Amino acid sequence: MTARKPQRRNMVGQVLAQIGSCGLFLLTLLAAVPRSMRHFRETTRQLWFVGAMSLTIIMTCGLFVGMVLMLQLYHVLSIFGGTSASGMVVALAVYRELGPVVTALLFAGRAGTSITAEIGLMRATDQIDAMEMMAVDPVAYVATPRFLAGLIAMPLLCCVFCAMAVFGGHLVGVTWLGIDNGTFWSNMTAVVDVRTDIVNGVLLKSLAFGAVVSLIAVFQGFTTPPTSEGVAYATTRTVVASSIAILALDFVLTAFLM
Amino acid sequence: MTQADRSQPDDSPLVRIRGLTTVLNGKTIFDALDMDIPRGRVTAIMGPSGTGKTTLLKHITGQMRADAGEILVGGRNVAGLSRDQLYKLREGIGYLFQNSALLTDFDVFENVAFPLRQHTRLPEELIRNLVLLKLQAVGLRGAARLMPNELSGGMARRVALARAIVFDPGLILYDEPFVGLDPVALNQVLKLIRTLNQTLGITSVLVAHELEAVKQVADHVFLIANGKVVAQGSPEAIAADGSPWTRQFFGGAADGPVPFQYPAGDYAQALGFPGVTK
Repeated sequence: MTARKPQRRNMVGQVLAQIGSCGLFLLTLLAAVPRSMRHFRETTRQLWFVGAMSLTIIMTCGLFVGMVLMLQLYHVLSIFGGTSASGMVVALAVYRELGPVVTALLFAGRAGTSITAEIGLMRATDQIDAMEMMAVDPVAYVATPRFLAGLIAMPLLCCVFCAMAVFGGHLVGVTWLGIDNGTFWSNMTAVVDVRTDIVNGVLLKSLAFGAVVSLIAVFQGFTTPPTSEGVAYATTRTVVASSIAILALDFVLTAFLM
Repeated sequence: MTQADRSQPDDSPLVRIRGLTTVLNGKTIFDALDMDIPRGRVTAIMGPSGTGKTTLLKHITGQMRADAGEILVGGRNVAGLSRDQLYKLREGIGYLFQNSALLTDFDVFENVAFPLRQHTRLPEELIRNLVLLKLQAVGLRGAARLMPNELSGGMARRVALARAIVFDPGLILYDEPFVGLDPVALNQVLKLIRTLNQTLGITSVLVAHELEAVKQVADHVFLIANGKVVAQGSPEAIAADGSPWTRQFFGGAADGPVPFQYPAGDYAQALGFPGVTK
């Protein structure tokens, strides 16, 4: 009796096949949106799980990101006597990059993994098959509500993250390091542009990241082999694939939106 | 599957299987299998483990496609149905899963109410009464607010049974309904299957290994092995059939046409005694 050796496969082909299947799954999800409206309560329930339940981690991380950023900037800018601009730089960095990207990474770790594990276990315990047998479309009842909930929750969570980061920056810069309160806000409001920084930065990016993370999480859950090892691998793949997709997509979006 | 299918007085089979051929991972599960499941009766499908009894149920409900052959349920070819048509057909079929497959997010009551909530717009009061009626029938009305992880295996199967019959479907497929039941629960489940059949005319197909239980409830038994029906008839007739298949299966002997061992290489060689032959 010998242990089964892991099969060596063509990695590139495997990744391309996964991307192709994921794209087809997206079409299935979108086609199921009208049918999933019948299960609107399920969408709101999922919105609570992936959105409201992620608030604590998002708010805490947002606060500390803003605080650290201000601390670093203050020390660098003080060399050039430009500490009054630190509030503005914190805001721009958070709105344009850190807010959407860090929120998405946290969302993938907190909500994405739980979506994958939950759907994977539902598959492993025949719950998905049971729904099929009860003539309930599992894509419309399980997958689409989670996808939509992620899509709706991400921009909202990103706004909360950004607000907490600016608050953290203010806390360190103004309360602790002594930057003038008026200078902090006036520099920020003078430079931050609603369309470029808020709409393109916060909302558009986070919407795109929300779609990608939710899609990957739901896809991995639905296609996982129905074993405990399969669910564990799928959960890991959700984090890895989401993180790579977020950073790659961030570069593409930034290049087009700048 | 509709009420009309159930009340039709004709003797035509409700499920007609012709030339069913299925190959899974290179192993032939069904080899041109023919089977007629009579309408309004309790039919048991028996056979050694791994002969494809559950697979056969999955073919009947369209969960799995066969490599060849056709399955007609209520006169409709399952393989030719669109997704919506298949779902419509399944609304009239109850299915008891081998491992219960209860929805773990919902309590017992909501699990049984799930099909009603998804397919009807019945008032809450009526849903409550229907669910309690079914839970009372399986002896678990008092467990309505327990979560699936608080149930024993036998209790979970009875909840799954209540869910399978909540619509009073025209056809119920039971996959191993007697596993994990204590003698009292077993007796009650047997009575329930019989009552559903006699009072509502529900066609029941059950996959089981317990010959004594099958004798009490089934009108007709199919014994399948090696991808074909090797014996069929009433439970009494099939038990007294005397063919090598039935003698070995119901006698429980290791030697005979039903192999106990999964196909494998030479035993002595596997143990490291290459010189030893049978």
